[in-house]
Amino acid sequence: MNSDYLAGMRLDRLRGRALPVNHNARTISALAANPGCPRRSLMDAAGVDKQKIAAHVGYPAPFGQSVFAITRGNVFEARVKENGAAQLLTLLRDHLGLDVSEVGYTDLGDAGGNPSRELRHVRTRHGLIGQDHGPRTLFDHPLLRLRVGGRHAYLEPDLIALRLDGSFHVIEIKSFPVIDGQADPAKVAAAAIQSAVYVRALRDLIAEAGSDPGRVSHETILIAPKDFASQPVATSLDVRKQLGVLDRQLVRMTNVEDMLEPFPETLTFDLDPDEDGTPRRPPEELAAAISLVPANYAPECLATCELCFACRDEAAGSTGALGKSVREDLGGIDYNAQALALARGQLPSAERAEIAAQLLRAAQLREQLLGEEIQ
Amino acid sequence: MAETIEALERRIDELRVAVREAVLTGDQALASARRTELRQAEQAWEDALSSAAAAPQPQPTLAPTGTQGSLLPLREQVYEALSLLQVSAAPKLIATVHEAFFGSTFPTTRVTSLKRDEERSFRSAPFARPYYVCAALSADYLSPSRGLLAVSTWPMEKRVIGSLSPRVDFLTAAIRVADAIERIPIPPATARQLLARFAGNIPGAAQPSAIPDQVRPDVVRQAAEAELAVHEELDARIRKDAAERAMRQLSDAERLFGTKLGEPIDETGAAAG
Repeated sequence: MNSDYLAGMRLDRLRGRALPVNHNARTISALAANPGCPRRSLMDAAGVDKQKIAAHVGYPAPFGQSVFAITRGNVFEARVKENGAAQLLTLLRDHLGLDVSEVGYTDLGDAGGNPSRELRHVRTRHGLIGQDHGPRTLFDHPLLRLRVGGRHAYLEPDLIALRLDGSFHVIEIKSFPVIDGQADPAKVAAAAIQSAVYVRALRDLIAEAGSDPGRVSHETILIAPKDFASQPVATSLDVRKQLGVLDRQLVRMTNVEDMLEPFPETLTFDLDPDEDGTPRRPPEELAAAISLVPANYAPECLATCELCFACRDEAAGSTGALGKSVREDLGGIDYNAQALALARGQLPSAERAEIAAQLLRAAQLREQLLGEEIQ
Repeated sequence: MAETIEALERRIDELRVAVREAVLTGDQALASARRTELRQAEQAWEDALSSAAAAPQPQPTLAPTGTQGSLLPLREQVYEALSLLQVSAAPKLIATVHEAFFGSTFPTTRVTSLKRDEERSFRSAPFARPYYVCAALSADYLSPSRGLLAVSTWPMEKRVIGSLSPRVDFLTAAIRVADAIERIPIPPATARQLLARFAGNIPGAAQPSAIPDQVRPDVVRQAAEAELAVHEELDARIRKDAAERAMRQLSDAERLFGTKLGEPIDETGAAAG
């Protein structure tokens, strides 16, 4: 555990004074989807607030929900969970066939004072697995843990349901509407991946406690508003496929110690905020620190990572920035300028002979079709 | 110069006699003049009484006046609503109940800070007030249940929350709201809407047509009582056990506002770790 501790200290230094931003299921699934980006891997492992970093170097992130959307989401979630999750119980009695006696509600986020994540996780474990309690069905604000890149990431699903037969269901509350039984497929897919991450974390918890991880159902529940009224509806998501993909990705992920190895101990993304929280670190200095850690920009980053504009700018002119398939097709040519030169007839080196011939041919076809030469 | 409180009381009695006599002899002008003096004497009496009561009291916060404002301090409005519900409740429900049955509401943020103010008031002068708006405690850790308020004069069993308690309290609140509606000849729309929201989440409580006006209090009560019968015995046992632990292990202030230790309290009353 000593190296774990040292790695933890280095990650703390990397992050600087700010409090760690928790991994959430979105960042883990995004991380697992693009494991080859050291910059993002390292920042997420350290809990760096990428939004703030990106803004300070002049590339504020293009996404993130509006305040209005966030508020609407919070209001919807609060209504589903109020009064001992009365609305949720009504839905689950119908959707899962809950018995009338299955009404227990335990708020695991509730604690005297301000508990550490470790303490909340211990309480969650105790609440979910412990034998000495009364009747338990719904667990609100559980704190799970998942080993990612050799470190623990803390994750908070919306709710977990425990049935009388001992099975568990992960429940996620989203505020995108389900209209006539259909919802935005991209959003549903994201919710499914997110739920799969929670299922994996919960299965690990159950297994560590000596019980059968199969007790955690691969069927997760999505609660979303019906139409544009805020009446909630429940939908089942089968996340077996997402679980398989996630497990493969997690196995392949680089260990954090190995990730940190190439960089100086003094490397930090600290913003040096003043009392009002305004960053004082010179932006050029921060940008230099960021560029020390290589990135692996691809267009997919635009949908998943707050640094995307900064990395895209950096990657401008590289073939990778045009997407994975383009880069693969051009196999071995990193820069657009090189590809264009070869297409114009520049003599290639030996290992590029084949791709050069293809590019030349493509340029000729293009000229025939468009009637103009490459610029 | 300030008259003593007793002198004011004598003067008030005399003025009342004077008003009565003036009215009965038909002397409107005299009656009017004496009435004015009577009002002034009564106000002076109130003022003298306030300054005589030396106990440190924070300024009562007046509720913002809506279409029908309440002149009661917020803590008393919350007390009114909780007394109707007779179970611990979240600020949102408290505000809705007050709007439905007492004619005015308040922002829920003020209710949340009320608990903090009440704790400060209690700690500076324990039991000085006849009641306090206090916390409901989780049965597991006897820590304050986030988002719930209760009344200090309620028995401890009512102020602890076991795993079944949120549902039990929800069903109980529905019954109380149904009772309250039946006591009013023409219940306001807000009250009926509140009952309808309860009914929507209690099996058998909503009429088939489910139009808010047609939710019947007696049907809601019956349905709520039917489900309560499933949970209440076990819930009562869990609460009794937690209440006994609280009385054994907690200080006066902790019994009202919960423990802040953040560590589980074991049987001996010692905080673990």
